[in-house]
Amino acid sequence: MNNHLSEDQITEWALGTCDDFVLRHLETCRGCSLEAEELRRALSGFRDALQAVAQRDQSFWRNQQVTFRERASVRDWYPMHWAWLVAMVMVLITAIFLIRTPKTLRNYPSDAADNALLNEIQGDLSREVPQALAPAVLIAEERNAILMNSVGRQSQKVQNKK
Amino acid sequence: MVQNGQVAVMIPVREKVRSEMSSLDDFTPLVQLHQQRIYRVLLGMVRDPDSAQTLTQECFLRAYQKRASFRGEASVGVWLLKIAVNLARDHRRSRLREFWHRWFSSSEEVAALGQKVPDPHPSQEQVLLGREEVAGVWAAVKRLSPQQRAVFILRFVEEMSLEEIAEATSLKLGTVKAHLFRAVHAIREQRQGGRTRE
Repeated sequence: MNNHLSEDQITEWALGTCDDFVLRHLETCRGCSLEAEELRRALSGFRDALQAVAQRDQSFWRNQQVTFRERASVRDWYPMHWAWLVAMVMVLITAIFLIRTPKTLRNYPSDAADNALLNEIQGDLSREVPQALAPAVLIAEERNAILMNSVGRQSQKVQNKK
Repeated sequence: MVQNGQVAVMIPVREKVRSEMSSLDDFTPLVQLHQQRIYRVLLGMVRDPDSAQTLTQECFLRAYQKRASFRGEASVGVWLLKIAVNLARDHRRSRLREFWHRWFSSSEEVAALGQKVPDPHPSQEQVLLGREEVAGVWAAVKRLSPQQRAVFILRFVEEMSLEEIAEATSLKLGTVKAHLFRAVHAIREQRQGGRTRE
């Protein structure tokens, strides 16, 4: 029968979660304590080696801090930048909407007025006499017609007498 | 009652820490305080000094950006480690990066780590044995999954408690223990394999 600690028990010991039985056994069993000690040495050797590999001089850590500060300040500004961009786009869209929509509404009556004015001008241009003289022309035409009638009647009377 | 008391204590602590992190000037001392530890953990996880340096920067930048979300349930150190572990995990997920990493790595890395064995023993033989032993552990750690590696490094390099590791890795306590068991088993197997080869 094997009286030594199991692999799990030695692992529990390495993790620091073993029970009193394991600790008592390690005090008395040379084989298991050697095994546990070797594991402990390997783990602490790894820890020391990694700590040594990760050692850097002061300038390295100072540079890290400086780089962090630079990048963090850029990133602080970065969301602000996007906020500004979004705000500008919104203003632009609103401006386009405001400029374009009322213009069509305002253009509607102004176009009609323009058309009316153009028609008026066209009428004026096609007129043979200025509008101010139109009544005088009308009177003159009526007068001419009356004269023509009276002349016609007189000439008819002359012919009848003959 | 106890829970209410805990909440009552936690809120001022949280507010205090938040106020300490409010501006860039306030946050920089935290970088100074924790950067070596974060770098060490990331170096252990990604095994590449340049990537570890970049990820350390990224870790503090993320922390600074998300400082408002710090709940104060764990210490700032554990909170930063949580961000670092997540970053290292995401870093590993990039298959292309993994491909190049495998291509260029890393008998050199292992050898470099082996050279860094502290030398308390005068005997040359013991130094060599120590180096081999560390290289063996490193080789075993390299084969662990990223989560197992994170848990292993936090426990055996940073000497954190299992509860803190659970918080930093967002795992349950039982899962943390299971990962540690597997990691230690892998290391013992590696050592026994090395011994049988000898």
